[in-house]
Amino acid sequence: MNNRFFSLLRKELVDAARDKRSVMAGLYYAIFVPIFMAAMMMVLIDKITSAEDLGITISNAATAPDLIAFLDNQGIRHSDDKSETKAIEIIIGVSYAEQMRRAEPAEVILIADGSEENLQSAIRRTQRTLQNYSAEMAGLRLIARGINPRIMNSLNVKMQDQGSSESKGGQLIAMIILFMLLSIFVSGMNLAIDTSAGERERNSLALLLSHPISLRQLIVSKVCAVSIFGMLALVLVLIMSKFIYPMVPWQELGFSVDIGLSFMIATLIAGAFIAIFAASMQLFVSFMAKSFKEAQTYISFVLFVPMVLSYAVTFDLATDELRWAPVTGQLQALIDLMKGKEIPLLQLTVSCLSTLIISVALVLGMERLLKSEKIVFGL
Amino acid sequence: MPINQRLSLLGKIVTLIVAVFLSTIALAQPGHKENDHCYVDGLSDRLRCGYVKVAENPSNPNGRKINIHYAVIPAVKNIYPNQAFLAIAGGPGQSAIDNAPLFDNTFGQVRETRDILLIDQRGTGRSNILQCPEDKDISPLLINGDDFDSVAETKKCLASIDSDVAQYTSTNALNDFEVVRKFLGYDKLHVYGISYGSRMAQLYMREHAEALATVTLDGVVPMQQSVLAIGLAIDRAFNLLISDCESQDQCQKQFPSIREALANIESQLLLEPIKTQIFHPMTAQPTEFLLTHDKFLGVIRLALYSPNTRALLPHAIDQAGKGNYQAILGLYSLSMEGMDIAMGMHASVVCSEDIHRLSTDLSAELEQSYIGKTMFSELSKVCSVWPSDKVDESFSAPVSNNIPTLLLSGELDPATPPDWAKLAMTDMKNAKHLIAPYAAHGVAMQSCANRIVAQLVEQESTVELNGDCLKEGRARGFYLNASGIDIFMPSTEQPLKITSEEVL
Amino acid sequence: MISVSNLSKKIGDVQALDGLSFHAEDGQITGLLGPNGAGKTTCLRTIFGLLKADQGIATINGIDVAIKPVEAKQQLGLFPDPFGIYERLTPREYIRYFAELSGLSRRGALDATNKVIDDLQLEDIADRRCKGFSQGQRMKTALAQAIVHKPKNIVLDEPTRGLDVMSTRVLRDMLRKLKSEGHCILFSSHVMQEVASLCDRVVVMADGKAVAIGSPQELCEQTNQTSLEEAFIALIGTDEGIAA
Repeated sequence: MNNRFFSLLRKELVDAARDKRSVMAGLYYAIFVPIFMAAMMMVLIDKITSAEDLGITISNAATAPDLIAFLDNQGIRHSDDKSETKAIEIIIGVSYAEQMRRAEPAEVILIADGSEENLQSAIRRTQRTLQNYSAEMAGLRLIARGINPRIMNSLNVKMQDQGSSESKGGQLIAMIILFMLLSIFVSGMNLAIDTSAGERERNSLALLLSHPISLRQLIVSKVCAVSIFGMLALVLVLIMSKFIYPMVPWQELGFSVDIGLSFMIATLIAGAFIAIFAASMQLFVSFMAKSFKEAQTYISFVLFVPMVLSYAVTFDLATDELRWAPVTGQLQALIDLMKGKEIPLLQLTVSCLSTLIISVALVLGMERLLKSEKIVFGL
Repeated sequence: MPINQRLSLLGKIVTLIVAVFLSTIALAQPGHKENDHCYVDGLSDRLRCGYVKVAENPSNPNGRKINIHYAVIPAVKNIYPNQAFLAIAGGPGQSAIDNAPLFDNTFGQVRETRDILLIDQRGTGRSNILQCPEDKDISPLLINGDDFDSVAETKKCLASIDSDVAQYTSTNALNDFEVVRKFLGYDKLHVYGISYGSRMAQLYMREHAEALATVTLDGVVPMQQSVLAIGLAIDRAFNLLISDCESQDQCQKQFPSIREALANIESQLLLEPIKTQIFHPMTAQPTEFLLTHDKFLGVIRLALYSPNTRALLPHAIDQAGKGNYQAILGLYSLSMEGMDIAMGMHASVVCSEDIHRLSTDLSAELEQSYIGKTMFSELSKVCSVWPSDKVDESFSAPVSNNIPTLLLSGELDPATPPDWAKLAMTDMKNAKHLIAPYAAHGVAMQSCANRIVAQLVEQESTVELNGDCLKEGRARGFYLNASGIDIFMPSTEQPLKITSEEVL
Repeated sequence: MISVSNLSKKIGDVQALDGLSFHAEDGQITGLLGPNGAGKTTCLRTIFGLLKADQGIATINGIDVAIKPVEAKQQLGLFPDPFGIYERLTPREYIRYFAELSGLSRRGALDATNKVIDDLQLEDIADRRCKGFSQGQRMKTALAQAIVHKPKNIVLDEPTRGLDVMSTRVLRDMLRKLKSEGHCILFSSHVMQEVASLCDRVVVMADGKAVAIGSPQELCEQTNQTSLEEAFIALIGTDEGIAA
């Protein structure tokens, strides 16, 4: 009994390991997703945090030399070089000096396309700098009138942020973990199709079933093989992440991403359940499909389900309802863990159990499927 | 933020290192070891706080114990867990922890990879603060320093303090710092000392060089110098203000006789204080404002500390010369709610380390300066009754070693002018001095120098540091009326006739 | 011995098997001859328990496939059509894998594999991956798989399809050898010559029924024809789907 199970499993793994497509799917994902994510983040961080000089167009600058000097000290200055100039224009109002003299609000026109994604941070920076100048000026106006400028702060709001530098990553951390868990789905996908729909298409399924083995042995061995593949990808992704993510200067965004040992272990444990779930679901779907191609279509569709649910978690939609569900439950727990909160053991246990129950149901379902002649022979 | 002009004013007139608009800072919850999280007003981040117990008198280790409190602003990503950036506050007498928002804001880049360590020096903040009780009966608007007997006030203050005040010296405080450093397990510190804090940093270099990776001295008080010499620096900064205004067309045009205005009002105030009917700067209640000579000079001195308030000075003086004291009142109001300086600790340091170290040359020079003279005589009275052990000659030796050291000076500094930094670095072997042309006291907070400090911390070397970004800054203008700076159309493009009536 | 009695099976709207009965004896080669769509493959699949008969039973050495599938299958070797080769495995791995699935221990499977490779002279290709194998090489691999565990009964589905002369000879020789060793061999075919030269008994199928059973000789006599081909046409009433 056991002997046959291991023969089946061994063959599945050897066969899969020799399948370039299956291996590559996992490898590529595990290696390139962290690299890609890290590169993207670096570009993003660079874009957000670079305090480099901002070239804009300033008209009628001569009217407001002090404002121009203030902007200049903040790195915002007029530039005639079109290639380095952002499409932002500041026009000092014609009556600026007179309005300033009379302590009326002095007109400064800021022209920019607010819908332009690339300009967002530059626009905000310009606005903020102008507001700072305005505030500085207002404070000194009060002083000049014998009034303490502190009276402008009518409330003293003392924000006490409970977050740690790990927890401030928010959605980015959720994304990182989501992509880690998705590696299980992606890397097992090809193998799942190959070993089910592919097996049938190569006519070896009937041959297998003609041998004195039980359906359960066959299915469980396939689930194990696909799970092991998924887990290998997860291990790889974790190792890659451990080395790649620290290279990203997260601290410049004000938080840190720490892939510690306890997180890796927790991810592997939670991941094991998800791997079993992913494997049984993908095998189930591919067995249902009539051909390899059809299986591919269905399986990408199935991949969509955990993705959408996980996005829901990432963006904080229906979080309470998804706490106990497969994949999303583990995702939430791992996010909490990475954010340095206490490990939500109950949530982790329940979601792993629910994952397991669904997997068992899927295995039983597959057994029923494979008893059907239609499925075996693709009739 | 050096020495007080008049101790008897109990900190009503003190220096400002912080930006003018920074709200005053209340006490944070003291940290416990069991639950070491705390928050400081003005900073939303959760800090790690705690304290170490040290002997008040190190030569009597079994005697009275005091708690030295510290706060760690945790690194965003702690790449160097064995290092910390220690920021030492000035005064003497300021709380470093209360200034956490300022340090966090200034050294955000350093904090990305290293903890920022703040220690309330003994006698300040949460570490057994030595304060003098305030006389709440007299409104600061009406107070007249001349009516105060400094000796009596000091005695009253001493009587209210139940501590061995002679122990609150820089040297003892330095040992506390080392205890905290070891307690927290940091191998190396990057030290930043501002103003009086730069003396602490230099002592650190002298006594525990092995514990330091880099040092930044901002607004440098050299070991050779008594801090009382700032009386001269103030005159220098004021002259710089006048010549700045004279060199700017519009300022010159608007305030052509600012020196005369100043001389007028000073001579007037020397005769007798001016009493005017005003509305209270905070409550808007009608009340009286007694402007004394001391208060007036104090306002000008304080306003010189920050480029913001400095820009208002020509207008304020001009108006005062014309009998309008609103701007002076506004500036005075900034220091009215009491300062965050522990006056007892301030006295302990100054009486032990400064009052007797004025060279005869300097004393003579100080005699020429009203502010210097007043400050010296008042502090002499305080120190005559304040128990203290005078430091010996060796205290004044210049620091000599090769720790990478950055010295920062603001050209406009009314307290610690660039020359002082040159004096401090005479024997330093690995030091670089940068002067910020548009900054006053606290260069790191007023210019791009905070980025240079971050670079020093990152590279642990002064070789690549340069002050280019300091020079790139552009000079700001002066307030030409009560409303703004750019209040005239540029004369080159549209010649505009300006009548002086238009002002105000 | 394989025995089928009164098997009926409907697939979709088609009555694939319609009361089919025959048996294949040990030490004999039994051919299942019939035109395309006669129900040969359905019959063989039913014998392997892959299809459930609507009616009737199939037994292997007296064991009902429907009731004790594992035990029954243990007595069977299948040479399928198509072969169902795993292209990424070598013949050695492939044969050993199925030997293990048929119930041999790991060690036993290894020995049996070596033996069958030797018997079929597969040495030169035994350690190459199956991808790119010729039809003959594939046939040998599939055959080795079918007999590696020395099953009493061997079922072959269209074994000579697509084979060249040399390969066909190898197959034939092997089948004769197995027969002489006392195995029960059942194969389906629509190739007349094949059946004529190999089979001891022929089951002629049409429309899911056995229309005639006997040795080639007997069938010719029964229909008064000289060749099996003519006899076959006479039996099923058409020459559709028959290869010479």
